Amino acid sequence: MHGSEEGVAGRPAAGHAPADRPAGGETPDVAVRCTGLTKLYRDPWTLKVTRGLEDLDLEVRRGEVMGYLGPNGAGKTTTLKLLTGLHKPTRGGAWIFGESIETTSSRRRIGFLPEQPYFYDYLTGMEYLELAGRLSGLQGRESRDRARAWMGRVGLGAAESRGLRKYSKGMLQRLGLAAALIHGPDLLLLDEPMSGLDPLGRRDVRDLLLEQRERGVTVLFSSHILPDVEMLCDRVAIVLQGRLSRVARVGELVEDGPQRVEIRCEGQPVVALPVTLSRIERPAETAFVLEQGERLDEVLRWLIEAGVRVRAVTPQRSSLEDLYVQAAQSGIERPLREGRQA
Amino acid sequence: MTTWLIAHNTFRETTRDRLLAGAIAAGVALLAVTQLLSPLAMGEGRRLTIDLGLSGISWLGLLVVLLVGTSLVAKELERRTIFNLLSRPISRPGYLVGKWAGLSATLWLVVLSMGLALCVLLALRGDGAFVPGVIQNVLLAGLELMVMTSIAVMCSALSTPVLSALYTLGFFIVGQWSYDLRGFAEGAPALLRGLLEVTADLAPNLPLFNARTLAAGGHLTTLAHLGLATAYAAVYSGCVLGLAAAAFESRDFK
Repeated sequence: MHGSEEGVAGRPAAGHAPADRPAGGETPDVAVRCTGLTKLYRDPWTLKVTRGLEDLDLEVRRGEVMGYLGPNGAGKTTTLKLLTGLHKPTRGGAWIFGESIETTSSRRRIGFLPEQPYFYDYLTGMEYLELAGRLSGLQGRESRDRARAWMGRVGLGAAESRGLRKYSKGMLQRLGLAAALIHGPDLLLLDEPMSGLDPLGRRDVRDLLLEQRERGVTVLFSSHILPDVEMLCDRVAIVLQGRLSRVARVGELVEDGPQRVEIRCEGQPVVALPVTLSRIERPAETAFVLEQGERLDEVLRWLIEAGVRVRAVTPQRSSLEDLYVQAAQSGIERPLREGRQA
Repeated sequence: MTTWLIAHNTFRETTRDRLLAGAIAAGVALLAVTQLLSPLAMGEGRRLTIDLGLSGISWLGLLVVLLVGTSLVAKELERRTIFNLLSRPISRPGYLVGKWAGLSATLWLVVLSMGLALCVLLALRGDGAFVPGVIQNVLLAGLELMVMTSIAVMCSALSTPVLSALYTLGFFIVGQWSYDLRGFAEGAPALLRGLLEVTADLAPNLPLFNARTLAAGGHLTTLAHLGLATAYAAVYSGCVLGLAAAAFESRDFK
């Protein structure tokens, strides 16, 4: 583990790929390394250049689960497509277990689930999984055995000989996950793996990812479902408008957030509130929310002196969602400010 | 190995397509029609059967190339099924070659099935002596379709299904007229002559795969012709697939 986890785009820090380290070559503790990874799209007619991803410096360590967050169009899918060879980088590079993403063999140890995966509707579930296994290097019999086992593992055992055109969206998502896992990859790259799943399906996928983490598989996944990210990830990377905004451990991010405290009081006391307190009326009680936890003693004293009966004092952790929204808003505001200054 | 797997999957995809069964049924129906028309051919019933039978094999094969081959890669790009393949350790050239080989295998199935039906029909008519010539032409038709498939795969990798079909049809038409183009070029002004000659050189030399007149007359083509046609089909398809692979290599899949 690196000492300090955080860094901001443009200032390499631990968690980002250090610029002075040789880019290629297998490093025992690094699964994915991106150095200045950039993807620009040029419209062939207008020649207008759009930024998909710019100067991404990122390291994903072996065995860790990293959440890759960002609003739509931020560059999450672009990053995953670059790592899987579906897009070619404009500049910079990336290495998977020391192998450049430009090589076909770098994909040998990857399991990839695209966003809203599409399948061949002329195949059955079993045929598709068998094909996926064989394309990833498994031999015929082994691929067949594993396909059957994975069909059962993701709850599709009863549908193994059914044509894929008859599968529901949730079934296809689970099949896609099984196809990503069938060859026992060392790195899982998942683009919105929970999308299209009902709560039970989401729980199954979460369990599957936790199981993979226990097996030592490295996972990099993008998601909008932040409670899942908070539950599964060791670290998160937030990407905004094609640039890496922040990399941090989930716990660290949450600890760094504002330390709010909720003070629940009986009834609906009539008191003049200082500006630091906000008030929430509930049927039998009133909750005061203190944004700066360090002023708790002062505020409690003030409430008790005002005759308020305090029932409970509860520290409130910022959720990952709050922090993500803050980061996203600051990321959107920053370029606007930069634009105005220019 | 992965190329073989892609080819096998493409074969499975195209043989499960109802269009293929339709093409084979249409071919058999065409043979039946030749027998209905035979009495009207004033003693040329055998020639009509062989001519229409062999032409039918080529045209129906071309129809499969245009309807299936030209959307082979484009459909995968459109439906994003290609993500599931190329995110695995598969090279892009290997993928294209696999697609070409898979559809070529399907076309061989079509050509051989219809060729067999034609040979059986000739035997039933008592024209068994003409079967060797028909077999030679069936082989040439298969080679011609392999060449057209490589063009269809190239167009499909670089364009939409509709445009790919139009481009492939264009190549077919120019290819069929490549000898005429050369003849026309001889009497044309210098600039036009150059243009026509380049076009004729780049277009596939499809008349090389046509010995139907010989077969209808009960004659065989030479082994040297068959060998040349086979070598030409291999080299031309290889060049086209090489070009397709070079263009496909740098493509981003949205």
